[in-house]
Amino acid sequence: MKGEKRPFPLRVVLGGLLGAVVAPLVVCYGWGSWIGIGEGVPVGAFGLSFLMVFRSMASAFGSAEVAAVVQSLLGALLGGVVTVATLPFAEDGKTLVRRSLFHFLATQGAFLLLILVCRWVDGWWLPLLYSALLTLLYLLIWLGRWTGWYLEVVELRELLGLDPGPTPLKWRETLPYLPLVLLMCLGVPLALRVPEYMLGKGFPALSGVYYPILVLPVVSLCVGVSLGKRRGVCPLYPAACLLCCLPMTCWLVGAFSTPPYYCLLSVIPALLGNLGGWLWRRRKGGKMP
Amino acid sequence: MEVEIRMEEGRKEPKVIILTGEETEEVRRLVEQLQELRLDPVPVRRQEERLLLPQEAFLRFYTDGKGVSAQTDTETFAVPLRLYELEERLDKSRFARISNGEIINLNKVTAVDLSLSGTIRMTLEGGVYVYVSRRYVKKIKETLKAGRRRNQ
Repeated sequence: MKGEKRPFPLRVVLGGLLGAVVAPLVVCYGWGSWIGIGEGVPVGAFGLSFLMVFRSMASAFGSAEVAAVVQSLLGALLGGVVTVATLPFAEDGKTLVRRSLFHFLATQGAFLLLILVCRWVDGWWLPLLYSALLTLLYLLIWLGRWTGWYLEVVELRELLGLDPGPTPLKWRETLPYLPLVLLMCLGVPLALRVPEYMLGKGFPALSGVYYPILVLPVVSLCVGVSLGKRRGVCPLYPAACLLCCLPMTCWLVGAFSTPPYYCLLSVIPALLGNLGGWLWRRRKGGKMP
Repeated sequence: MEVEIRMEEGRKEPKVIILTGEETEEVRRLVEQLQELRLDPVPVRRQEERLLLPQEAFLRFYTDGKGVSAQTDTETFAVPLRLYELEERLDKSRFARISNGEIINLNKVTAVDLSLSGTIRMTLEGGVYVYVSRRYVKKIKETLKAGRRRNQ
């Protein structure tokens, strides 16, 4: 593809220059703002009144000028890495995953280096928070790209006169299993509460212990296997189990101060069952998810 | 429009003559579409034997390191042409390049799937899997859309 042969060194240079310019601007305009950056007060350098580096960084590097140069270099590094973010998407399959992962690690490294060396954030949780936000951004971009490819595949199927294929996240394929999920995660525990209520107060052994520990995991697993064998990986199935178990979990936690693991007793077997069923299906038919 | 087929003994390639009162836009379109059609059989080799097989017999043409191979429902042949030469000879409404090393018969596609890593896999008749490079998706869609327009 021609687009792939764009001179990416030029992109890196432009991105680097932009990063070098933006880094001091972030210090000047981000300090004391809602983005919460800054360790100490920023100071000027090279005889300028423009506040471009933090005092703590200037002290660590001996002078504001050296600190400003280091900050711009690190900004340039991050800018350069970010500008090649689209390159991994030009590839397919394993190469795409490998290059994306490599780019993600490079971006995270450059980003953390910049915010830590330049003393943009202090403590341990703010770097973690920014790092988590960057990861989230990456995941969102991935999801966006994947949705684009998915729509292309749907269009190809339509043009070829084929079956439109599974719905996004297989929501329609999972729908027939919803009554079953409602019944096992909500209906049965609520029904079990009736005799418990009639027998008197105390910890609900049937709905709170026997059913969730002995029955619910097995049923969730079996339903997951069935769904996986028929429809492949259906991420909405464990999600539905989680949602439907929440009322019972909240009630147990609220009323008896038990740990909120009730949900997990359904979600984990549901997930494992679904994956197991999908693997079985793959082994049998060699089908894609 | 009347369509008439006349059989002529010894003729290897079909010839189309359009009889018309005037050269309208529709007639010009028909001529263009007929000229785009590539109906020539494809020369292949089965060991020492040389054969000419009709295009519709093939599932795909691909490079395999030694040269170009052609796969039908039942067997695989060697093709004494390069992939780009084949691409020029094949019917453009039926065959499309899906990657640098592969051309497939779009009429033989039975399923299209997308993996989590973005790989597009096509299943051809007989359970043959081929992988589509995303670089060629746009071109495949154009081919299919052009074919659809022609059929309308």
